[in-house]
Amino acid sequence: MLFNTKTTLLGTTVLAMTLAAAPVAAERILRADEVAVGEIDPAKATDYADTVLAINLYDTLVYPKQGGSGVQPHLATEWAIDGATYTFTLRDDVTFNSGNPLTAADVAYSFERMMAMGQGNSNLFAGVVDSVEATGDNTVVFTLTEPFAPFLASLVRMPVVDMAVVKANEVDGDWASTWMSQNSAGSGQYVITSHDPQTETVMAYEADYFMEPVEGYPETVRYRYGLEPSTVRALMSRGEHDISSQWLPPEVFAGLAEEGATLVTEAGLSGEYFKMNTQRAPLDDVHCRRALAYAFDYATMAQLTQINDEVSSGRPMNGAIPQGLLGYDAIVPNFSQDMALAQEELAKCAYDPAEHLLDVAFIAETPARERGALMMQAIYSTMGFNVEITRTPWALLTEQVTAPPTAPHVVEIAVSAASPDTDSLLYAMYHSSQPASWIASSYFKNPELDALLDQARIETDQDARQDIYAQANAILAQEVPDIFAYELLGAFAVREGVTFHNLADPALTYPNSGFNMRFADISVPEAE
Amino acid sequence: MSIFRRLLGRLGASLIVLIGVSMLIFFIARIIPGDPARIALGPRATDAQVEQMREALNLNEPIVVQYGLFMGDLVRGDLGISLYSNRPVMTDLVEYLPATLELVLLAGFMMVMIGLPLGAISARYRGRWPDNLVRVISLLAVSAPAFVWAVGLVLVFAYFTPLFPITGRISDTLEVERLTGFMLIDTLAAGRLDAFASALHHLILPAFALALSGIGQAARLTRSNMIATYEQPAIEMAQAYGFSEARIARRYAFKPSLIPSLTIIGLDFAALLGNAFLVEVIFAWPGLSRYGVGVILQKDLNAIVGTVLIISATFLIANIIVDFLVSVLNPRIRFSEDNK
Repeated sequence: MLFNTKTTLLGTTVLAMTLAAAPVAAERILRADEVAVGEIDPAKATDYADTVLAINLYDTLVYPKQGGSGVQPHLATEWAIDGATYTFTLRDDVTFNSGNPLTAADVAYSFERMMAMGQGNSNLFAGVVDSVEATGDNTVVFTLTEPFAPFLASLVRMPVVDMAVVKANEVDGDWASTWMSQNSAGSGQYVITSHDPQTETVMAYEADYFMEPVEGYPETVRYRYGLEPSTVRALMSRGEHDISSQWLPPEVFAGLAEEGATLVTEAGLSGEYFKMNTQRAPLDDVHCRRALAYAFDYATMAQLTQINDEVSSGRPMNGAIPQGLLGYDAIVPNFSQDMALAQEELAKCAYDPAEHLLDVAFIAETPARERGALMMQAIYSTMGFNVEITRTPWALLTEQVTAPPTAPHVVEIAVSAASPDTDSLLYAMYHSSQPASWIASSYFKNPELDALLDQARIETDQDARQDIYAQANAILAQEVPDIFAYELLGAFAVREGVTFHNLADPALTYPNSGFNMRFADISVPEAE
Repeated sequence: MSIFRRLLGRLGASLIVLIGVSMLIFFIARIIPGDPARIALGPRATDAQVEQMREALNLNEPIVVQYGLFMGDLVRGDLGISLYSNRPVMTDLVEYLPATLELVLLAGFMMVMIGLPLGAISARYRGRWPDNLVRVISLLAVSAPAFVWAVGLVLVFAYFTPLFPITGRISDTLEVERLTGFMLIDTLAAGRLDAFASALHHLILPAFALALSGIGQAARLTRSNMIATYEQPAIEMAQAYGFSEARIARRYAFKPSLIPSLTIIGLDFAALLGNAFLVEVIFAWPGLSRYGVGVILQKDLNAIVGTVLIISATFLIANIIVDFLVSVLNPRIRFSEDNK
């Protein structure tokens, strides 16, 4: 015999012992996930996961307005604007998780730290702020270099850190950069208990927070990273995961919905844009761009975003500006396919489409986008274009788009407004002064649009800004630097028994992407 | 030549190989497309911010100077900061390597403990139903990559019949102080049998998924080697002496057949480090393979070099161990090396 009785018995015992081990818990736990690794230093935060961590671990002076657009008070109870001077009055009942009171000096220090590190969302304030001064325990004054209307909205991206804790953990003047990527020093409703950037961040509820949680709020949150769709599906089916990321394939969402999960969506001021390289022939001719825009099959694209009969991860887009931002105009008709108009525009184009290879790229890491590229290939080939589809890894694409000659003709990209202000979307995408990057990969140069975008930055009257952005939107609809495919709706599968209040009721929804995932606004059942 | 001197010689050669690997990967990582500073800072970063980070990362220095600076830091045990995790690369490696090694070691153990006996059974019952069954199973095992098995095993043993956990290294409700990073060792060291059972429970499915292909390979190799050994005169002599079939199989046919199988298993061990990536992704296993792919996609230069160096070192050590085992099993190899 190759195996004796002792070996068999030992093996059986170990197996029985392992199978007997089962997790036991008796608290309210929320388990959610996001694809990218999570960065907990708010000065380095850039993407969705970072936003979710930042809003739960830290607080900002203002917050995107619930159920509306613009901002609402948060740490700041009120503010006064005098030209380029913004004076904020802070709440006096806020303490950091360390027990230190949150004061105006912490606000000034947080801003100084963010700008000195030069990462994350600091670009929103680059060249904008001249000085920040704490003029009292609860009063902080920002003096701008010149009037800048989007400033207030940009502050939703400026979390306040505990100056004393950060300074205590500084090493060689590093602003505690390494320490802050492993620990939190905020005043948020949750505090870090453990953090592994590629696995999960575990957070515990902070009872002394100045805002009330919803009934059944989670006492512990496990925010997981990099879970495979098949893994998420299996976990949710077993009741071991509560809220999925928005990046699951439609068929997985549909399968989860069939098994009892609720699907909710977050608009998030995001659009799906097919960015056209306006600096390369034949797309440097507006007629060629219009021909592509008219020929684009918006209806099929909408079908591709449909998850099931009731939920879609997209909705029609009228123009460059998504709903919820200044300049959005519901009266502007949605784009729709019109082959006759497309052919008419193509006839006016200075280029013969057959003589130019049309390079349509999609990001290799998002394979679902290949469907859009294939659809374009099928349509544009009938118009005489020689379309080549390129599957480009993200790292390579970011390099290619730094110069128009190396950038593809067309690339499909999702872009979200960084703040509840239109400036954070349109200026980054279309102002000619912006550095070449994937966000600005149509390299659009239009003096009239530049002037409008500059004017919107100094105009403080909201009605006037609405008009300015509406004009800008009209120019973009006319010049079509991009095909405005659809407004992106981030879909989330929510396990039965869990209520994602902010996305279940539009009156409770925050406009910006990621800001709805306030853990204390989510009800979870007791763990078994 | 003594074993100690031979080992010393192999370690010296391995060090030269590692220096070569470090140069190669350092230069390759820098010529693949993508500006790491721009990727890390995101699309809205200004040119000034990108430039500030490039300066901080020494990316504006000539590549030879960059390599010199890197080696200087490496000697001090500093591999720099990872742009992927925003913490020291050394911290990441120390944290993630044990998780992958634990997975790979158990997979290797399964390859040996399941693959070799299956091959032996197959050869022992050549042409009969156990042989046919093992051949079908081993063919199936080698014909699908590890991640396919991973998904299949999750479906069968975690989704349809929830016998095993799907993610992580231990139950969320258990906490064990980190000592070595090897969960099985740490739980035992803490005297926590419940935690040990949980860690083993979490480890079995991913390790089995990773090992399946190697199990099939080992079974097939062992079978063919044993069949060749069965045709040797020594076996006929043993049969003539009237030894039992089980004794002949175990003592005279199986042992000589181990040498080529062990060599291949040694090579497979290195392959496991690479194959572990998708298994680690599917089981959300916080290991080095998953980290390695993440840092490549992020073009995190420091972490790429650090990960490749660690994997290379592990591969070299595994090879030294296999060579040593082979020389122990086969005296002819040992004597020929001694006579050099």
